[in-house]
Amino acid sequence: MLKKLLKYEVQATSRIILPLYAALISLAIVNRVISSIPILTWHAPQIISMIIYNMILIGMFIMTFVMMIQRFYKNLLSDEGYLMFTLPIKSWMHIASKLLISMMWMVTSGIVALISIFIIAFDIIITKEFLHASVVFIGDFFRYFGPLSGLFIFEILLVGVVGLASMVLMIYASIAIGHLFNRHKILASVGSYIVLTTISQILFIIMAVISSYLPTPRHLSIANDLHGVEPIIHYVLWFVIIFSGILTSGYFILTNYILSKRLNLE
Amino acid sequence: MSIILECNSLTKAFGKKRALSDISLNIEKGKIIGLLGPNGSGKTTFIKLLNGLLTPTSGEIRVSGIQPGIETKKIISYLPEKTYLNDWMRVHQIIELFCDFYEDFKPEKAYDMLKRLNINSNDRLKTMSKGTKEKVQLILVMSREAELYLLDEPIGGVDPAARDYILETIINNYSANSSIIISTHLISDIEKVLDHVIFIKDGQLVLTSSVDEIREENGKSVDGLFKEVFKC
Amino acid sequence: MSWNFKSDRPIYIQLIDQIEMMIFSGIYPPGSRLPSVRDMAQEAAVNPNTMQRALSKLEEDGLIITHRTSGRSITEDENMIKKAKTRLAQEQLSEFLANMQHLGFDRKEILSIISNMLEEMKI
Repeated sequence: MLKKLLKYEVQATSRIILPLYAALISLAIVNRVISSIPILTWHAPQIISMIIYNMILIGMFIMTFVMMIQRFYKNLLSDEGYLMFTLPIKSWMHIASKLLISMMWMVTSGIVALISIFIIAFDIIITKEFLHASVVFIGDFFRYFGPLSGLFIFEILLVGVVGLASMVLMIYASIAIGHLFNRHKILASVGSYIVLTTISQILFIIMAVISSYLPTPRHLSIANDLHGVEPIIHYVLWFVIIFSGILTSGYFILTNYILSKRLNLE
Repeated sequence: MSIILECNSLTKAFGKKRALSDISLNIEKGKIIGLLGPNGSGKTTFIKLLNGLLTPTSGEIRVSGIQPGIETKKIISYLPEKTYLNDWMRVHQIIELFCDFYEDFKPEKAYDMLKRLNINSNDRLKTMSKGTKEKVQLILVMSREAELYLLDEPIGGVDPAARDYILETIINNYSANSSIIISTHLISDIEKVLDHVIFIKDGQLVLTSSVDEIREENGKSVDGLFKEVFKC
Repeated sequence: MSWNFKSDRPIYIQLIDQIEMMIFSGIYPPGSRLPSVRDMAQEAAVNPNTMQRALSKLEEDGLIITHRTSGRSITEDENMIKKAKTRLAQEQLSEFLANMQHLGFDRKEILSIISNMLEEMKI
């Protein structure tokens, strides 16, 4: 069932975002082509195409973000909600499907942006140097962090994923809370977003202070040498992952509760 | 004589306002029931409760013996008053969606009805008139082999020819295993199609009776009785 | 065939009347097959249960027969149809004659009015 929901989510969103990706890549190519034509005096086409490229780039990111909000609000809490919530599907699946696909598009937008920049800035010599430098860096990295470097990369990715999920779910929770109000729903949503952000920051500070009193990391001195810092980095990362994970779950549970027990479609 | 719907002291309050008070009723299989009452009487609230779109403040609902949830959504086919379909979809896409999520959905039936009404399954919903969209929704709802159909104002904003088609479809879809609840305030049009009627006023049950009984006992149609009961 | 319903009597009774009329007037000849309950209900735009009730009553009265495998048909017993027809006519007449009496007409006047009407209507 979740798979089917994901399929429809992709169907609904790709028709909006894919044309933007196509436009961005096309403009990147156009920019590339124009900048390689040696017209020395007349810079206008290059400037115009660069401006358009930038506009599309910004537009793409804005659209990805707006789409995330819109899919949740319009598809679940407006008239379309009558269809969605009478399907024989538990409400958590609706949240999960929208969350996963929104996250997917956010990551994809980042990748597409990088690709477009790469297209514009592609230069064989620089790229060769960059690749060479990367290989060296990766070698150094693995040598420094030793056998646990894979874990380190995994932790960084996890922080990113959980952090992204946390942001999306906090927005969903805010929209859901706003739905509880009869009037001024948007205002209530914005208000609850502010409240949730503040609460999560306060909780973070409290947790950070508490954990600084935990025995384990304390006896490790922070040396200049990277080796001494290494376990602390792991602890810090896991602290962030777990803390974010708890907040994320909290937002999810809150949103699910509102959608399943306090739904009130107009 | 099995019961498809059972309500016991069903109450729904929004804050201080009581939208439904203490509704208790039973509906048998194989009946077409009219849920009648003026605007704001609680009909739509009642239907949303049956659907699981609202949770009761107190009291109980059982559809085929089960409380509203995933299992009841599988056997209830709901036609809301508004257009609830994704505007950007094409008709055949929404049919595929119904096929995917509803085991009892019969696409052949849907395509058949679409053909009869000259609706192109390749059209996007947003290009259609409101009346056509409503017909598409009705077709989708009636193409399911559900145990309980909930139709909220199915003939509301529709032209007379379409109204006849809708009533025809309702009669045609009749099965001794399922029941249909039609919520409306346009009684004279659908009276002949109903077995029983439920009158609701200000969230309370005012009357439940068969159409025949009303005519026999009162010497007037349900429409006539309604006008009397709900005189302003 | 248009079905007209009044609002003061139960629909199933009105259905019985209208189907009887169709039998008597030969629209449904003796022995002919009837459409399914659902089809008849659809045509009359009434609830199938109501149509079923009407047909059952007609079956009780012997005007309709249900065959186990092939649905319903009108009885072939033309005598029965004639009797039912006559009974209907008598019911209508008794109401008419009661009214006439009420208006103060006597036998001779009633017969002459009827005679004139028959001529006018070319029956």
